[in-house]
Amino acid sequence: MNGLPMNGLPMNGLLVAQAGQPEGLAPLELPNVEYSAMAPHLILIGGALVLLVWVAMVRRRPPWAWAAFTVAVGLASLGASWLMWLDVGRNGPRTAVADAVVVDGYSIFFMVLVSVIVVLGALMGESFLKREDIRGPEFYVLMLLSSSGAMFMASANDLVITFLGLEILSIALYVLAGLDNRRMESREAAIKYFVLGAFSSAVFLYGVALVYGATGSTNLGEIVGYLQSSVAPANGVLLAGVALLLVGFGFKVAAVPFHTWTPDVYQGAPSPVTGFMAAGAKAAGFAGLLRVFFATFDTLKLDWQPIVWVLAVATLLVGSVLAIVQEDIKRVLAYSSISHAGFVLIGLQAANEKGLAGSLYYLLTYAFMVLGSFTVVTLVGRKGDARHDLDAYRGLSARRPALALAFTVLLLAQAGIPFTTGFLAKFYVISAAVEGRSYSLALIGMLSSVVAAFFYLRITVLMYMSTDEEEAEEARTEPLAIPRSMAVVLAVSVAFTVAFGLLPAPVIDFARDATLLI
Amino acid sequence: MAEYLPIFTMLVLATLFAGLSFFGSAMLGPKKPTRAKEAPYECGIVPRSEPAERFPVRFYLVAMIFVIFDIEIIFLYPWAVIFRQLDLFGLVEMIVFALAVFVSFVYLISNGALDWGPVKRMRPAATAPSRTSDSTVRRIGRAEEAA
Repeated sequence: MNGLPMNGLPMNGLLVAQAGQPEGLAPLELPNVEYSAMAPHLILIGGALVLLVWVAMVRRRPPWAWAAFTVAVGLASLGASWLMWLDVGRNGPRTAVADAVVVDGYSIFFMVLVSVIVVLGALMGESFLKREDIRGPEFYVLMLLSSSGAMFMASANDLVITFLGLEILSIALYVLAGLDNRRMESREAAIKYFVLGAFSSAVFLYGVALVYGATGSTNLGEIVGYLQSSVAPANGVLLAGVALLLVGFGFKVAAVPFHTWTPDVYQGAPSPVTGFMAAGAKAAGFAGLLRVFFATFDTLKLDWQPIVWVLAVATLLVGSVLAIVQEDIKRVLAYSSISHAGFVLIGLQAANEKGLAGSLYYLLTYAFMVLGSFTVVTLVGRKGDARHDLDAYRGLSARRPALALAFTVLLLAQAGIPFTTGFLAKFYVISAAVEGRSYSLALIGMLSSVVAAFFYLRITVLMYMSTDEEEAEEARTEPLAIPRSMAVVLAVSVAFTVAFGLLPAPVIDFARDATLLI
Repeated sequence: MAEYLPIFTMLVLATLFAGLSFFGSAMLGPKKPTRAKEAPYECGIVPRSEPAERFPVRFYLVAMIFVIFDIEIIFLYPWAVIFRQLDLFGLVEMIVFALAVFVSFVYLISNGALDWGPVKRMRPAATAPSRTSDSTVRRIGRAEEAA
């Protein structure tokens, strides 16, 4: 293989043991570990450990205190992210810890996003866990750990760190999917997710190995350097590696044809976990995908753009068409999340600055919409987390007008109705595609959003239809209570969706300033 | 691709060796099975009955504890070899690592991983709340009717 640095490979700051040296020699050259570059990650991990010790030590266990603690940890990491954002604004982006992690607007954007998801996820989980009588702090601990993995994926500057982040994220999620282990579906979801996820991790790792073989480094910066310096960088091994990386990421973000796990896992996992998965795991998958493809393999653009084009079209069409025929709300939302992944892929395919900003904006706004939606699904699912057929939504407006209104707003936003963030997100990525001259892809995106509008409207219409006597009677005997923490999540997500749909500038600027360090 | 030729040769040789060994032992080895030879263990107490298929989950928890400390040892060994060169940095990092590992141990203990006495119910039985003994009787009854 050409270009393999045979000597002087710095091993990316790993400690190179000097073989053959006698005892007691000079200390090794140690990497400068800059903990402040990973402050939000470390806060989440530390929070998880403290929570575990706390639960093990204290006999009396008030579960709401764990949720409050998780919210506090999420807010602390949000604050730390914000301080880093200000610091990057003043001093510019940089790499840290021997070039293994990168501190730039892009990584901090995802730190902010993940912190917000942690806060909302903990609020969502608290009353759910109480209702389903799932004891123990595992939900919060695993969510914190999984989120730290998501942050590592966003801030990794080395494919090995990306992989570590991917595993930290995924392993916690496998367990979370099976958290409600008294329900058969939950256990099934965990096993399915685990088997397919482990397989896709192996594919990803194989891609990393091939890229390393072709370029001589796993460090993203060094790969860029190699690609820019070599005359004909595109060879078979490198392209195969890039393709395998795309498969590995495609699985995490549920892009067609790597989406087959999504409906089953989304349906089987406990509803708040599904919300966390749809918002957090998707954002993390895209965080890795966008950085690796935008920043690192930018010079191979002409090779991967057509592949991403096909993926985006398949994802858009399969997601929105199959969502129509589903009878289970969680499966509908699963297929809708697949079609949303297609829209983010449009931004990737455009491969321009607007595409990147559009994708980031999409992921941020989608996180709020989907967390709010799954809050409603959790509430309507009632005790047992089982009532997820669309009929459960018939006449919801008569029983709980505010809940129905909130769900309507969130669904219409996902459909892309103007004056919501969902509209701007779709508009942003499609205009990026137009700017990148992918007119056909832009057209397919618009058409698929028309198709998708059908099933969002179908649920909305169901909620405003009148119920028959029997159902009204059932509604009276089993009133649908809305706990306060759930109400907070709903209020925040609806307020975000509407307020920034009307006044889009701050969030759009945030996404645009979240640039990559290349 | 010429650099990969030795790896490919090795792959072919390894496959051939493994295949030939299986084939050879099947063809050449004499087969005189006796009861003692077919027993799961060739030494020790002669088993009188089939071993139980279901083990208490506690055994798996003990196995988990073993895995936790096994992983810790895997990291401790290389660290110990270059302990002096790593200096204070290595010591601090290893303490942090050991603490994080220890937390998982504490969690396991608090969940009763090492309580070998009578079973304490820490939470209701692991069945859906809708399942009662009546529903089970009905379900079994239906299954028997169908059979």
